[in-house]
Amino acid sequence: MCLLALCAAGATLFLSCGHARGTAASPKMIILGVDGLDPDLLTKFMAEGKMPNFARLAEQGSFRRLTTSIPPQSPVAWSNLITGMNAGGHGIFDFIHRDPKTFQLYFSTSKVEGPKHSFSIGSWVIPLGSGSAEQLRHGKAFWEILDEQNIPNYVYRIPANFPPISAKGKTLSGMGTPDLRGTYGTFTFYTDDPTAAVGAVEGGEVVQVEVKNNRVATNLIGPDNSFRKNSPPATEPFTVDVDPLEPVARIAFQDQQFVLKEGEWSGWLPVEFQLMPVIGNVKGICRFYLKQAHPRFQLYVSPINIDPKNPALPISTPTSYSSDLAKQIGEFHTQGIAEDTKALSDGVLDDKEFLEQSHTVLAEHRRAFDAEFPKFHDGLFFFYFSSLDLNAHMMWRLTDPQSPAYDAALAAQYGTALEEFYEQIDQVLGEVMPKVDDNTTLLVLSDHGFAPYRHSFNLNTWLLNNGYITRKEGVTGDPNEPFSDVDWSRTRAYGLGLNGLYLNTRGREREGIVEPGAQADALLEEIRQKLLAVRDPKDNSQVITRIDFASEAYQGPYARSGPDALVGYNRGYRAGWKTILGAFPADVLEDNTNAWSGDHCMDFTKVPGVLLSNRKIAAETPALTDIAPTILGTFGIAKTNDMKGQSVFQAR
Amino acid sequence: MAAFSLSWLTSPLSIVIIVSLVIGLVMVVLFGYTSDQKAIGIAKDQLKAHLLAVRLYRDQIPVVMGSYGKILRGTGRYLKLAFMPLLYVIIPITLLMVQIDRYLGQTPIPVNAPFLLTVHMNGGDALNDATLNLPDEITTTAPAVHIPANNDVVWRLVGAKEGKYEVKIAVGGQTVEKTVCVGNDLPRISTVRLRGQFWSRMFSSAESALPQNSPIESIAINYPDRDIDIAGYGMNWIWLFFILSMIAGFIFKELLGIQI
Repeated sequence: MCLLALCAAGATLFLSCGHARGTAASPKMIILGVDGLDPDLLTKFMAEGKMPNFARLAEQGSFRRLTTSIPPQSPVAWSNLITGMNAGGHGIFDFIHRDPKTFQLYFSTSKVEGPKHSFSIGSWVIPLGSGSAEQLRHGKAFWEILDEQNIPNYVYRIPANFPPISAKGKTLSGMGTPDLRGTYGTFTFYTDDPTAAVGAVEGGEVVQVEVKNNRVATNLIGPDNSFRKNSPPATEPFTVDVDPLEPVARIAFQDQQFVLKEGEWSGWLPVEFQLMPVIGNVKGICRFYLKQAHPRFQLYVSPINIDPKNPALPISTPTSYSSDLAKQIGEFHTQGIAEDTKALSDGVLDDKEFLEQSHTVLAEHRRAFDAEFPKFHDGLFFFYFSSLDLNAHMMWRLTDPQSPAYDAALAAQYGTALEEFYEQIDQVLGEVMPKVDDNTTLLVLSDHGFAPYRHSFNLNTWLLNNGYITRKEGVTGDPNEPFSDVDWSRTRAYGLGLNGLYLNTRGREREGIVEPGAQADALLEEIRQKLLAVRDPKDNSQVITRIDFASEAYQGPYARSGPDALVGYNRGYRAGWKTILGAFPADVLEDNTNAWSGDHCMDFTKVPGVLLSNRKIAAETPALTDIAPTILGTFGIAKTNDMKGQSVFQAR
Repeated sequence: MAAFSLSWLTSPLSIVIIVSLVIGLVMVVLFGYTSDQKAIGIAKDQLKAHLLAVRLYRDQIPVVMGSYGKILRGTGRYLKLAFMPLLYVIIPITLLMVQIDRYLGQTPIPVNAPFLLTVHMNGGDALNDATLNLPDEITTTAPAVHIPANNDVVWRLVGAKEGKYEVKIAVGGQTVEKTVCVGNDLPRISTVRLRGQFWSRMFSSAESALPQNSPIESIAINYPDRDIDIAGYGMNWIWLFFILSMIAGFIFKELLGIQI
């Protein structure tokens, strides 16, 4: 009897200890990270009664503009949030970085490499060892610190976390996660239209096909096959049988077949690329869209995403999590930037088709949210939404009659598309708010806001015209190689990335000629003054409103690894697509007629993000670097010494 | 008192485990009865002796070479002794596995999930004549795709309610039927209905043959393959069956003292 009583007491003690966290006393935190949620649009939609949950949260708690990063680009901004440091601390300055010795460009947040050593037998290459995926962001993530303190946490698709760092909790990588081809997303478009521009286009590939006896026989294009000499892309054959009369087709590949009507999307389909018989297979997933069956054949195939059930690269912690989630909610986009903006820009998808694809992405996020949020009882729950950002980039022109890409007819049809995505995010907040009790801190935040992108400024063309760059005479550059025709012995500065201005510094760049120190400082100041004086000849608008020097903007061990200055464009202006990759378009200023018509890679003071909370925010001008200290502070953990900000709930 | 449920016994995993254990036992017993146990024992002992000789006399090349020759001959003798009993075991078990596969190889079509019904004709002329007559619970969700190159017509259908339905295909004045299973139960599934082709029907169809004079050669449905979940890994029941029946066979062989 005594033994029984002792057991019962022990069991009670054990159970009560096990549930110590999650009782009324333990703090909890929910963060909705909404990329690109703009304070002005939010204010407008709240005033119009379209975002009642946000309005209620702003009224009951706090609503602030959140100072974004320098430059205000998502990988930089989210890294600021994750680490509490600026780019000098975490080392992410842009979407793309350059090797100053070779001028090779690479993705700033991660590096995926094949095996270092191999040998060849005939046309085969036999690797000695395995490849690697390395995250390039430095500094401790807030959830690493929570892990150290045994605070449970869940982090869904936070950008700049590929491959995901080791974590005790469940995490899924987000922006920065490549597709199976190792790019930010490469679609394939198959057509028999003889006038189509065949070959690589920005963000995709157009493949000419022949419809013979109502059948198209072609290949899915997979990752480069490093088991083959010269690494040709792996391919898998597939056939499309088009009905001779009806707008419908049967598509068959590997052991699967399905029927699509014209204007219809398939679900996710698994595809396996054989790199080497028996030992080297890699699995992905893709979707098909039959754009047209007759009279022209047009078939879109999405970028081949990493299969969450069989990930070829690490995309989650624990490794099995992506598979577990896929079993719960079905297959989903694993590619970091899931909305296929390039297909819309290239005219492969139209607005309706792009919006359908975008809504699929948001529906997947909401399914994941609905699966995971009810499991949250303790610690931190972080959930990321990409839809407002990518759709603001693409749909802004339909809300902006001043945009060179404005189309009144399309605006009448799709002018409210962005607003509808905002309303959906409001619905998500509506699901969250009932779970917010007195012990729960809720943050809804964005990394930056938005502004129109009506005109492109070609920084390298401007530097060329003003004598800071000299090109080799009589040499035609390789359009695929940045700065391939630049005479570095007579070049003092160059632009790279969306906001980066670099000096050709002696000892850093391969053929640097600018002495670090006084000479470099004077040159930067000279360029700053000239750039700030640039005016748009059409209306005398100031094109560039701010230039930040890295020496002033950044602190930390990587402060001098990135650009020497950050170019802050006025609202309406942004760096042109070609100049950011080191090319020289003819004109300094160009109209932006691309569907990508909203942006934020500008003067950071002009595109703040938002911060809403159920608690009173003490800071009048909170910044992204304050978020990590705020998270730690909520759980009673002191911020680390290298964090720049402080809790937004603390009076300053 | 809580009712004790035996429903787990009808799960695919339980069925595979039970079938594997029973077949492992039957295989061993059948092999024991149909084989010359004494001769197999002697053949195995002799093989062991020659293998031992190879190890013991490895510095005496003529002995080693002679032992290798005897091992080869002994292996041949052992295989000869095992061949007929294995044949007695394999034939009924293969037929049994074909029948089990009808239940465990595929899942029924999930409710509201699209599936394809592919009708293969013996000539292109009949392609445009083929029409479908569907029960109320099954509907088409796209126009038929006619594939003259293959003499196929493909319909995309969807089932609204769990059940077993007959889909009627009319062509050339004849009407034939194909069974469609919708739901998540464990019905006997026939992926294809064939005309003639006795051996193909034996191994891949669970329906009667189509009329010999029908212009239709086959009617197929793309049922999803059934994966049985083992510790988070899905696998076809056949692989699980092979592993479990082998383990069961080795255990029963020891317990029953049967030489294999």
